[in-house]
Amino acid sequence: FGLSLPAVAVLLVALLCLDPHGRVGSAPICAHGPSGCHIPSLADLFDRVIQHSARMHSLSNDLHSEFEQYFLPSKNHIGKIYRKCHTSNILTPNGKDNAQKLAREELTEVILKLLMAWRDPLFQLHQSMAHQQDFNSFSSNKALEMGDMAHELRKGVEKVAEKMRVLGMLGNSVTGLSAAEAMLPLSDSGEAMSDYELLYCFRRDSNKVQNYLKILKCRIVPEHDC
Amino acid sequence: MRNSGAVLILIFIVKLISQAAGVSAPGKPKLTSCRSPEKETFTCWWEPGEDGGLPTTYALYYHLENSETVYECPDYKTAGNNSCFFNKNDTSLWVNYNITVVATNALGKNISEPVEVDVAYIVQPNTPENVTAVVVDEDQGPFVRVSWEKPRTADTRSGWITLLYQLRVKQQKDKEWEEYNAGMQKYYNVFSLHPDTEFMVQVRCKPDHGFWSEWTQTTYIKMPDYIPRQRSLWIIITIFSVFIVLILTWTLNVKRNSVKLCLLPPVPGPKIKGFDKQLLKSGKTEEVFNSLVIQGFPPTIDYDDLLVEYLEVYDNEEQELVLDGKDLSEDCIKSKSPSDCDSGRGSCDSRTLLLEKCMVGRKGSGSDQHQYSQHGETSWASTESSECQGLEPGSPESSDGRVKTWPVVFSSPQPHHHYQAETVKPVYHSVPEILNHSSPHIMPTNYHHLHHQDIPQQEGRHGKPACRHSQSYNHFNLDGLNTPAPGVSPSRSLEYVEVQRVNPENMLLLRPLSDPNREPEGSDYAGEDYSKVKEVTSNNILLLRRDTSHHCVDDYSQASQCTTQQPPHPCKPVIYQSNSGMPQEGMRVMGNGYVDSTVLMPSY
Repeated sequence: FGLSLPAVAVLLVALLCLDPHGRVGSAPICAHGPSGCHIPSLADLFDRVIQHSARMHSLSNDLHSEFEQYFLPSKNHIGKIYRKCHTSNILTPNGKDNAQKLAREELTEVILKLLMAWRDPLFQLHQSMAHQQDFNSFSSNKALEMGDMAHELRKGVEKVAEKMRVLGMLGNSVTGLSAAEAMLPLSDSGEAMSDYELLYCFRRDSNKVQNYLKILKCRIVPEHDC
Repeated sequence: MRNSGAVLILIFIVKLISQAAGVSAPGKPKLTSCRSPEKETFTCWWEPGEDGGLPTTYALYYHLENSETVYECPDYKTAGNNSCFFNKNDTSLWVNYNITVVATNALGKNISEPVEVDVAYIVQPNTPENVTAVVVDEDQGPFVRVSWEKPRTADTRSGWITLLYQLRVKQQKDKEWEEYNAGMQKYYNVFSLHPDTEFMVQVRCKPDHGFWSEWTQTTYIKMPDYIPRQRSLWIIITIFSVFIVLILTWTLNVKRNSVKLCLLPPVPGPKIKGFDKQLLKSGKTEEVFNSLVIQGFPPTIDYDDLLVEYLEVYDNEEQELVLDGKDLSEDCIKSKSPSDCDSGRGSCDSRTLLLEKCMVGRKGSGSDQHQYSQHGETSWASTESSECQGLEPGSPESSDGRVKTWPVVFSSPQPHHHYQAETVKPVYHSVPEILNHSSPHIMPTNYHHLHHQDIPQQEGRHGKPACRHSQSYNHFNLDGLNTPAPGVSPSRSLEYVEVQRVNPENMLLLRPLSDPNREPEGSDYAGEDYSKVKEVTSNNILLLRRDTSHHCVDDYSQASQCTTQQPPHPCKPVIYQSNSGMPQEGMRVMGNGYVDSTVLMPSY
């Protein structure tokens, strides 16, 4: 035969790679079911998501007040210059009763729409803050983190919705999940919004998201903290 | 045209009248705050300005962001005076309200500054309710469990609002509250409160983004009297100490030997150089101790060498006290070493001195000299003169004309014998004379002769060496001063001399002690030069002590004691010689302890 040991090893490896059944696939960690590992319950998922949204909102709050403090000293000046937020055409409940009147699916959809609408503007915000000399690196890092958090939050809420659907809590009328499109932050006049306006709008929208998630949670899993 | 003009004039007149009357348009009102207790309704309060003296009405107007529709406040009553209450229907969250207040009276109106409000950010809940505190008794000790309820208006059930609670505790007498954060729970356990005291508890709450509520009313709770049984602590301490004891014991055991060494150190054997243990054991003590003897101990010091500054005394039996003829000079010459000016043997180094004396003596009154001669001291003068004559030609040192002291030397025969035996002897002697007619310091004008009568006796008996004068024979007149010596009498009289100073040429300047004309400043000198009697030894020897400097004076035979002393306390050798006939008188001690002996004062 005359084949040396290394050659044999190489051959074996090649066979393995070529073998379709030898493909390495990822097995889920909790393959053995609930007893094998701890699968987070819906309540836990909700808790995580709500914590995430709280963190996101506090970041946006910090950035906004920083902006207000250093760049726009006059309060009246603030009131006059802001324009309509680009998310204002998303219909959001503006009171408790209105929010409670909404179905879970609609509420979830609103949340996801909001989060989706902010994906690109947050990225833009970070870009413009990083390029400007006025902001220190701390602030632009916060903006970056904020954008990441919004992204993760969206993913998390999607997971929650998925879970709810699996559990049968959500009907099939949730169409917004797939239809949520990214929106460009354009104001009426077509101009891009300034950094301050973006921060102002995002602070409000993150508050909305947090509130809606809490309502959703207490409606769906009201055992604790409600 | 005319109408408008008339209207304008009318308004103008009205204004003038109103100003004259003290009324005016209202002042500017101000919106103070807007608050929402549950994030569903909210209230705004304003502050009126001056009302201008006329009844004023206030109206609140608002419009939502990006809308120009202006609405008026729906409810002025519910929240009290100067307030506007927005109910649920009129409240929209996440929308900016632009609110203004308008004050109106008969003369005009005034508009406040607009205020932007977003209801979601002005939430301030009501205070928590039903705060209760109970003491719970446990094994570890009692503690206080504080519980409360959420404010009635806040809707936390639906998750619309999330409240965080905080409580604070203090004793009545404390200044500072102790705050605890309770999170979202509605109870809290407070531990480690002092027993048998009353505590005050308060609670408040806040939404996750908003303002803190007010503190609740104080709730009082009394802690019972208890003894803290900290059993677990004692158990831990006991175990720990047992553990440590075990470790120590084990360590000691391991290091047995070194511990023994430490606690019971071995008795060291003798470590004397040259000491032979074996020899000791064998019992030959003599040999053993012989090796310990150090040669040359105790050190014998040649005391004589230490007294080089003193004048030498030569106890020469053959020599007469009285300077007879030329013996003196010869003896003096003999006794002195020509080159030894500083040895203190100045008494014999005294050609010049003698010369001076001769000169001075001649100047003095003749009476005294006669006196001397009366006592058989004629030889004195004659000696002097002879001396002087003898010396004169060959005394270069007298050229300066300064008076030099004539040291008179005498000492007890025995010691002198003793010292005679050795060639170089430091000597001390008393210097009775003072003569320094050129010195301004010398005041005394007395002559002093001491022991006139005794001298011849002494001479007869002791044979004073040459170059010695009896102490009483200082009889020099100071220049120009011819005062008779007080107390000088044909009979025995004593004069006391003090050594005034020693000039650089080792000459003692003497001065009579009892000089009434002595100036006060002389007392300083006196102080230096006098010596107190320390004791009298068996040999009729006075041990003098220098008064001011506490020198130890020892007699010559006991010189060893003194000479070993430190230089600042030099010994002053005693010079007094006395025999049986003399002592009492010779030692006439003056009132202050001074002795009339002549004392050598070395000038240090």
